[in-house]
Amino acid sequence: MQNVIKTIIGVSLLGAAISSAYAAGDQDVRIVLNEELDVVEPCMAARSNVGRVILQNVNETLTEFDAQQGGLKPRLATAWEQLDESTWRFKLREGVKFHNGEELDARDVKFSLERTVDKSMICEVGVKYFGGTEMAIKVVDDQTLEVTTTPAQPILPLLFSTVPIVPDSTPRNEFTRSPVGTGPYEFAQWNVGQNIILKRSNSYWGEQPAVETATYLFRSDSAVAAAMVQTGEADIVPNIAVQDATNKDTDFSYPNSETARLRIDVQVSPLDDRRVREALNLAIDREALRGSILSADVIPATQLVVPTTSGYNKDLKVWPYDPTRAKKLLAAARADGVPVDAEIKMIGRTNIYPNATELMEALMAMLQDAGFNASMQMYDVAEWNGLFIKPFPEGRKPSVLQAQHDNAKGDAVFTAYGKYHSQGGQSVLNSAHVDELIEQATSASGENRASLWQQLFAEVNGNIIADIPLFHMVGYTRVNPRLVFEPTIATNSELQLSQISFK
Amino acid sequence: MSSFIGRRSLSSGISLIGLIVLIFFLSRLTGDPTGLYLPLDASLEARDNFRVVHGLNDPLIQQFGRYVADILQLDFGESIRKARPALEVVLEAFPWTLWLAAVTLFCVTIAAIVIGSLAAFNVGGPFDRLSGMLSLAAASAPDFWIAILGIFLFSVNLGWVPTSGTGTVWHWVLPVSVLFIRPFGLIMQVVRGSMINALSSAYVKTARAKGVKERSIIFVHALRNAMLPVVTVIGDQAAGMLNGAVVVETIFGFPGIGKLMIDSILQRDFTVVLAAIMVTALAIFLMNLLIDLLYAVLDPRIRY
Repeated sequence: MQNVIKTIIGVSLLGAAISSAYAAGDQDVRIVLNEELDVVEPCMAARSNVGRVILQNVNETLTEFDAQQGGLKPRLATAWEQLDESTWRFKLREGVKFHNGEELDARDVKFSLERTVDKSMICEVGVKYFGGTEMAIKVVDDQTLEVTTTPAQPILPLLFSTVPIVPDSTPRNEFTRSPVGTGPYEFAQWNVGQNIILKRSNSYWGEQPAVETATYLFRSDSAVAAAMVQTGEADIVPNIAVQDATNKDTDFSYPNSETARLRIDVQVSPLDDRRVREALNLAIDREALRGSILSADVIPATQLVVPTTSGYNKDLKVWPYDPTRAKKLLAAARADGVPVDAEIKMIGRTNIYPNATELMEALMAMLQDAGFNASMQMYDVAEWNGLFIKPFPEGRKPSVLQAQHDNAKGDAVFTAYGKYHSQGGQSVLNSAHVDELIEQATSASGENRASLWQQLFAEVNGNIIADIPLFHMVGYTRVNPRLVFEPTIATNSELQLSQISFK
Repeated sequence: MSSFIGRRSLSSGISLIGLIVLIFFLSRLTGDPTGLYLPLDASLEARDNFRVVHGLNDPLIQQFGRYVADILQLDFGESIRKARPALEVVLEAFPWTLWLAAVTLFCVTIAAIVIGSLAAFNVGGPFDRLSGMLSLAAASAPDFWIAILGIFLFSVNLGWVPTSGTGTVWHWVLPVSVLFIRPFGLIMQVVRGSMINALSSAYVKTARAKGVKERSIIFVHALRNAMLPVVTVIGDQAAGMLNGAVVVETIFGFPGIGKLMIDSILQRDFTVVLAAIMVTALAIFLMNLLIDLLYAVLDPRIRY
């Protein structure tokens, strides 16, 4: 018996020794991302996980968007002004050094901007935010540069909040595997398949952050990632599944800037009839989905941008659940010869968000209850892309398509063109009025710009009814109780280590 | 012997060429990867530029010709996803899988032979019944369930081993244990069945009549003759493991070739898929050759 007790004590001590062996140091943090980074190239920082490692930690931007309060903050640029409709001048912060010791100057910024939009590089930031925009960049002096865009970009300072700045010694035509920046952390090590390590930079121009070393680990299984915080192997998991967010002390929900919707193919009968589209919206019991299939924290949506976006239309109301009126609308359309009994295909995408398939099944049942001949099919992302993005398949059948849109950049321009302009890559609309509103809003600024976006959403979601808006979604983050860190709407695209402190 | 190796190499080479042609064209049928790599908001111009840069606009036969020409120079192409040579990506992941498979199979082989032999020694006895029951349960247990259960029991509740990852020998305990269970159940059953046959053969009876110790009868006389089917099954299991243990690699964050292949297929990263298949096919060919040679060692009647 004594031997058994000794063995148990021995094994427990061994376990304790192992635990301490893989625990992080006092000022170090371990962050678990849901997939391994394929690249660490700064110009790919528009990808969530690349952004979470690189953006504002290693490589900073000229401006920084304040996702919580709205508006822009200076970062590497201290001031900016619009010289004429298409030209902006930026003044750079003085005394900033890259991690390799080079001084930041306007030539580095010019290099970074040109590299980001270089077609041979195919940078995600360039493709996502600068498609169709030509830039002419003039270095005025070491700390000043002027940027002229064609067409004019009234939100150029906001667009520059997406471009990480690199020194002009960075490889010009290939992705770097050891990014150098001006941020509070140096890129120290990349053990492919295992981890990425950032170390605090002693030469940072700003305030020294509390975290000394950050190690990024990769686990695609949410339950395992969440368990790692429980065992002390990790400190932050930015993205855990709703079913793993079971501890109120460590798990925080945050609006993740994603909005879920079903895109209605308004060009195909019977969905070209407004009454049918209204009936689709009235058939959905959004409240029944909250706290059951989806998190109780999701917010019913009226449009495709989140309420903190400039141009969000507060006057639009969430569609009520009214199957009786939906049936009446369908009956009226049927009486006018609209083929309302035609099969409506619900095109879903597996894992577009947690419980995506279950949600589609529930939505199908709701549509069927309201009298629609609805059927659903789930696709993997590659096949789904072929149905979501132009060119659309020839002779397509009436369909509603499950989609989700992320806009954490504070302006509706990142939503409107692609989704609703007749030339937009995912747009099924062909409305001259909508096109005109988008073009006007894109070239406008200030209050007028916001007002035009509001008019657009009133037109698209109130008048035309191009979507079945579902919910503004939430994500869940698990945080080790030894840290002070609260996820925000920006956590989906960046995770600034300087915002973490220790209790 | 050398002519046997030559013949096997030739037939495997032909199979490999067939595999390359098949995978090249089949993978292209799965669709255009452009939409997977560019943001949804990318313009049509950007999409077209992507296809031009990666040669996806060229006729398929031209793409194939280019691929074959490159492969002859040992250039397996560039991974679209990782923006570096595909072979480099694969060779980075493969050693992890190789080690995982080697350590697991070593443990499985030892355990299955010892326990299977002891069970066969006393057929129907308590040890045979217990080991039979456990091995059947092990052979039917789903990996993902065992893995998650193991993490919550041994990492979260008991704190004995890390949940996942790599770095220390302790990180290998759970992945190896989970991978161990199913092949162990299967191989132990094969060892037991084969040993029952061997132990009832005439030469074993003769050995007993001569007063040879039971331990020697089991592990020296009977075991060697019982090993041929066991080696075949181990080879089959090893081939499966060389293709990667996707579930285990995914759950434990193990950077092996299984997860790499699945991710590359889902992302339509064609060059990596092809490079991974060729590397694993080559490894499996070498392993099969090794097993054939092992047959000759175990059974002197086999000659090549």
